[in-house]
Amino acid sequence: MNVLEVRDFSVEYGLEEAAVHAVRHVDLDVPRSSVLGIAGESGSGKSTLVYGFTRLLRWPGVVAGGSAVLRVLDEDGTESEFDLLAASERELRSIRWSEISIVLQSALSALNPVRRIAKEFDEVLRVHSSGLDRSARRARAVELLDMVGLDEDRLDRFPHELSGGQRQRIMIALALALDPQLVIMDEPTTALDVVTQREIVDQLFELRQRLGFAMIFITHDLSLLVELANEIVVMYAGEIVERASAEEIYAAPRHPYTLGLINSFPPMHGERCELVGLPGAPSDLAHLPTGCSFHPRCAWAMEVCKTASPKAQPVGDTGRLVACWLHDGIHEVPVELRRSVPQRQPL
Amino acid sequence: MRVIGRRLLLYVVTAWVAITVNFVIPRLMPGNPIQTMIGKLTNQVTPQEIQAIRSAFGVGLSQNWWTQYWHYLGQLVHGNLGVSITLSTPVTTVLGSAIPWTVGLIGIATLVSFVLGTVSGALLGWTRGSHLDNLIPVATFFQAVPYFFLGTVAFLVFSNHLGWFPGQGAYSLSLTPGLHWSYIASVIRYGELPAFTIILSSIAGWMLGMRNMMITTVGEDYVLMAVAKGLPRRRVIWHAARNAVLPSIANLSLAIGLVVSGALLVELVFNYPGVGDLLFHAVANEDYPLIQGIFLVITLCVLAANFLADLVYFALDPRTRTPAVV
Amino acid sequence: MKRLRLPRSPKVLVGLVIEFCFLILTVIGPWVAPYNPSYNGFLQNLPPSSKHWLGTTALGEDIFSQLLNGARATIVVAVVAGLVATLIAVVVGVSAGYLGGRADDGLSMLSNVFLAIPGLPLLIVLDSYLPQADRSNSLILGLVIALTGWAWGARVLRAQTMSLRNRDFVEASRIIGESRTRIMAVEIAPNLLPILASSLLFTILYSIGAYVTLAYIGLTSTSVWNWGTMMFWAQANNAPLVNQWWWFVPPGVCIALVGAGLALINFGIDEFINPRLREAGLTSKVLRRSGLSRQVRLGVTPVLRATSSPRRISRALQAGAQR
Repeated sequence: MNVLEVRDFSVEYGLEEAAVHAVRHVDLDVPRSSVLGIAGESGSGKSTLVYGFTRLLRWPGVVAGGSAVLRVLDEDGTESEFDLLAASERELRSIRWSEISIVLQSALSALNPVRRIAKEFDEVLRVHSSGLDRSARRARAVELLDMVGLDEDRLDRFPHELSGGQRQRIMIALALALDPQLVIMDEPTTALDVVTQREIVDQLFELRQRLGFAMIFITHDLSLLVELANEIVVMYAGEIVERASAEEIYAAPRHPYTLGLINSFPPMHGERCELVGLPGAPSDLAHLPTGCSFHPRCAWAMEVCKTASPKAQPVGDTGRLVACWLHDGIHEVPVELRRSVPQRQPL
Repeated sequence: MRVIGRRLLLYVVTAWVAITVNFVIPRLMPGNPIQTMIGKLTNQVTPQEIQAIRSAFGVGLSQNWWTQYWHYLGQLVHGNLGVSITLSTPVTTVLGSAIPWTVGLIGIATLVSFVLGTVSGALLGWTRGSHLDNLIPVATFFQAVPYFFLGTVAFLVFSNHLGWFPGQGAYSLSLTPGLHWSYIASVIRYGELPAFTIILSSIAGWMLGMRNMMITTVGEDYVLMAVAKGLPRRRVIWHAARNAVLPSIANLSLAIGLVVSGALLVELVFNYPGVGDLLFHAVANEDYPLIQGIFLVITLCVLAANFLADLVYFALDPRTRTPAVV
Repeated sequence: MKRLRLPRSPKVLVGLVIEFCFLILTVIGPWVAPYNPSYNGFLQNLPPSSKHWLGTTALGEDIFSQLLNGARATIVVAVVAGLVATLIAVVVGVSAGYLGGRADDGLSMLSNVFLAIPGLPLLIVLDSYLPQADRSNSLILGLVIALTGWAWGARVLRAQTMSLRNRDFVEASRIIGESRTRIMAVEIAPNLLPILASSLLFTILYSIGAYVTLAYIGLTSTSVWNWGTMMFWAQANNAPLVNQWWWFVPPGVCIALVGAGLALINFGIDEFINPRLREAGLTSKVLRRSGLSRQVRLGVTPVLRATSSPRRISRALQAGAQR
């Protein structure tokens, strides 16, 4: 059962002739209680996609097509559909934070600088759960902070008095305040050092095990997603180029771009190897190349890649999708792109 | 607290500069004009007062400038601002009757203008592409119009032509001043058009400043967060506006200076018996002690208002009070 | 070096056109005027006619000629004052911002003092002591006005310099060993240009107001024609009371137009400095054409086209939506 279904979703910046196609015909499914990772470089459209279907995208962004449906599970177990694109402002407000919450990249700018942390919790609890009184709200805030490993005294501080890691934990606690069904994390660890990054990711893993919410984790660092995500979607120039389980993506990538991303983050262990990375720069969305958007940077680009744009096709029998002409069944697949997933030893 | 101390120091220094300017300027001018003026004084002026003028302006004194300076400062401390040459009364007395009118007019007009301007600016910054956007060029135009011109036109149209408002003065001359309702109502009535002129001229500054800051603030992540949290629209606007208003308050010093300058001119146009009216008549009659006294008092009042604005700013922005961790 | 983009915003274009017209008037005004502005042999207090487009004053002078002549003094003094004030602002502001430390403390204190002292009263005090002869000298008046108007620009430039100083490219120049003056002139100054332009326009705006006000009060020489002096004479002869609007309204409107033009151009510069202010194709016409509602608000991203799907909203959600 999916908590979120997005079909043929497109987003543009600007209107009419000036429009830039930032997200193009994206399909997405997020099963309940699972973790979907969205990976890509800056400008790939991953954040735009998510802000687009949650209708939080800033002007001049507009939704240019498709559908986005949230499947809400009530207390009595019945499921209903919520059309995110057709919803009015009031309807959106009813599901915001209570069903979908979001964790932004920089907690320093995401928290109101002139208010104490306690007020942030108090406000969101007051607006959505009218049944709680002041002390009950405070108790809940303490409980949430405890979940992320912070002391109660953090509540009475201002954002600028806390460290980056603490702020990010508070953002996570805030996001879980109303027990949402879907939590969206937009590069939550990018602004942190590696050690803190690790702690936060572990914390998220544990919280999800415990509370069972679904999560969308956006990042440019694939290595973070390998342990955390069930499924990973790789985006380039506004399109999905590969979708597969985390294991498959990391150990057996099929799309050249995915391979490049993985190679950009060398493993800590194993043999020393030459850093390959991705040549060139991300495409300018206003002036995309013809055919496959990635072909100027692709080591295996063919003639057909320059003229025709590949659609995402199933590859293999595990349900993974790849948008690349190399896997159309006609051409020879390079060695690097046909590794197989290592078999896990049965216990 | 250190920050407040620094601001206080600034104002003290500024006051000192103003005082010193008053002291130095007449002594720099060739052919001291005061000399001839003293001859014009009537017999109602006491010798001490004449002496006060002399020492304030350095006329016919044998001591060097330093000694004169200390004398001058001493007199200021005693509240002695000299004597008005044209009115033959102490400057402080003359000012005392004029200041309440000016403070009342400017105070109320500025408050209304600030509130209206900031609120409309906040709404303009929040909603883009609405009809309200047409207010911007209108407001810009009025901002460029000199205060006295706007006042004159307002007087012509609303008082002379349409007769909606009374003309000159602060209250109907047929009434005697006192704490009775007809007098107070008359004061309000006569103050409406001057206040309206001040508000119209100054509102654009607040509105545009707030609008621009609001657009910037709405672009901040915490406003997006407030929306993502599903807060009611009014609450989100309040969050944004509360942060966006800070620079307007910080810029109050420049704004107060301009509004005061403009308001003085409005007084002239409407013959409002405030400090402005006094100043311009003093200029026309070359009444230097009065000019300088007014300058000093205006400066001190503006500094006091600035200080108040600073206190408000410190109260609103906690970042000024607690040091950042990182 | 950034490419120079022609301004597309209609506001800016209008502003530029206005200023250009007045600039031309400044140059050719006295030549084009039909009569000598000081000649007072005409019939007094005439209303507008074909012979006197704006009528005559209470002393029998032609108002239209005064208006055309007045452009020159008004605008020249304002521009001179604006340039001098901006020059002082650059020297004080950039030095304070870049040098930091004690120099910054001292210069900041200086600017703050001048900022706190109300401009007009100070101007009046300084000007009232000027000998009569100097009051007709545009240069001296411009200097006095500049003295009261430089502080705001200095503060803005100081803030901008401080933020630039910490940027990487300046740091790189320092490491290479460029001299301080060279860094200030070559690295920092070009990046200050937009703010400098805005500050200059704002200061000229202030100077026009200051000059015209001084003239209106009677602190400038009456032998030099400017728009403020015209209004001074109009007021002195009770023109508003006798409804002689053709005497004082035209100069006032001219002042307002020049000022409004500057403000509009400043708008464009503001949008250039702060990209968030740019409209990005957001005019009501474009919005309506695309089928979007008039207003665009945060949190309700517009949907141009969508594939609708049947929806059943749960009772709980419906109840929530009613709130």
